[in-house]
Amino acid sequence: MLLEGTLRWQNATQEFCLPRPDDPAAEHVRADARVEDARLAEACRAGSLEAYETLYQTQSARMKSIAMNLLGNAHDAEDAVQETFLKIHRGIRHFKGQSAFSTWTYRILMNSCYDLRRRRIRRQETPEQDLVAKEETFEAPAPMNDHPLRLALEKCVKQLTPHLRSVFLLYEVEGFKHSEIGAILGVSEMASKNALYQAKRRLREMLARQPESGTRAAAPGEM
Amino acid sequence: MREEKKFDCSHLEQALRDETPELMAELSRHAKECAACREELRLWQEISAAARTMHKDWPTPALWPAIARSFEAEAARSRGVWQRIQELLPAPALRWQTVFAALALVIVSGTGAWLLLHRSGGMVPDNQHLLTDQAVQQVEQAEQNYVQSIEKLAQLAQPKLAAASTPLMVNYREKLDLLDAAISDCRSNLEKNRANAYLRRELLSFYQEKQKTLEQVLQEN
Repeated sequence: MLLEGTLRWQNATQEFCLPRPDDPAAEHVRADARVEDARLAEACRAGSLEAYETLYQTQSARMKSIAMNLLGNAHDAEDAVQETFLKIHRGIRHFKGQSAFSTWTYRILMNSCYDLRRRRIRRQETPEQDLVAKEETFEAPAPMNDHPLRLALEKCVKQLTPHLRSVFLLYEVEGFKHSEIGAILGVSEMASKNALYQAKRRLREMLARQPESGTRAAAPGEM
Repeated sequence: MREEKKFDCSHLEQALRDETPELMAELSRHAKECAACREELRLWQEISAAARTMHKDWPTPALWPAIARSFEAEAARSRGVWQRIQELLPAPALRWQTVFAALALVIVSGTGAWLLLHRSGGMVPDNQHLLTDQAVQQVEQAEQNYVQSIEKLAQLAQPKLAAASTPLMVNYREKLDLLDAAISDCRSNLEKNRANAYLRRELLSFYQEKQKTLEQVLQEN
């Protein structure tokens, strides 16, 4: 029953997260999603392993993808997801429901990724730029509906600042709304919009400088 | 009537920043006529389209079992301390009695300690060798009287000791010199710690020995 309800919640959350204009017809779906979100949080707080498994089944795909794009390899991404679940398990007593449970879990994920990255940089005493250069290849297979710009874009995304990179990945890759990104990263919705714009402008500039990117982009000054 | 401002190239940035449906619709209309904005919009949309293919998915069959195991390990760690306490307790049926007995013991001993402390005015001798001020004064008074008596005895024995001719009398004199040195030493130590009962007893034994020696001197012909 819990799984059934949560699958409904998952679909609703995904619906809720898509960057599309406000649809009044979807309001009841969003309300259901909020109820399911609170129910799952309560079940996790009660220590139900089944609830955690449900959370894993519904969110781990997006969690892994975010961690992979932030950390650059599957091993670290899985570590980050595992660490995130442990932190959720430890900290669920302190979750007061001031934000959506799913938002809270993604905030923990982002922090875990930053921590892991910092630890890795400290361990290797490697500057971030060098680390980015080492993450040339992804271990995960390329998606079926690949885009000719993908590889060039991935390279450029790694050169963005951590904040711009996070906003770009959450919005453009994972389909979160600006209000959710604001809650996850602790910034306003407007700040999230601005960061996305900055990120895309920089990416557009970087792609324009890369001949192999396949874009016929004119440099910003040329327009 | 307010005339709506026509969308032009200067609105491009605002449209791409806000991405509201209205502004994007206007930008699309404008892009049909403006090649530069059309190219910019195309690139903008290309980035978004390419970004959607950046979503990564790969099978991780071992990840959930690993997470579940780490939950169990953590629960076992936090259970560990409580379990060790429980192991020290007797059988479950006797646990409440044990807890009540322990509580009663704590209350009785706590009350006893409190009464003891407050009955003695909050002062507890922290060292058995130490005497209270009043007792020290009494001891010093008795000691003074005793010393005066011994001094009188010493005055009587003084002529005999001064004219010591036999080895026994010389021994008595040397013993008395030693006892005086020991008494002087003990007194200087007592000045540093007047309430030290052990030093007081030692001083008393030196005086008793002096008294006994002086009596032996006086009995000697």
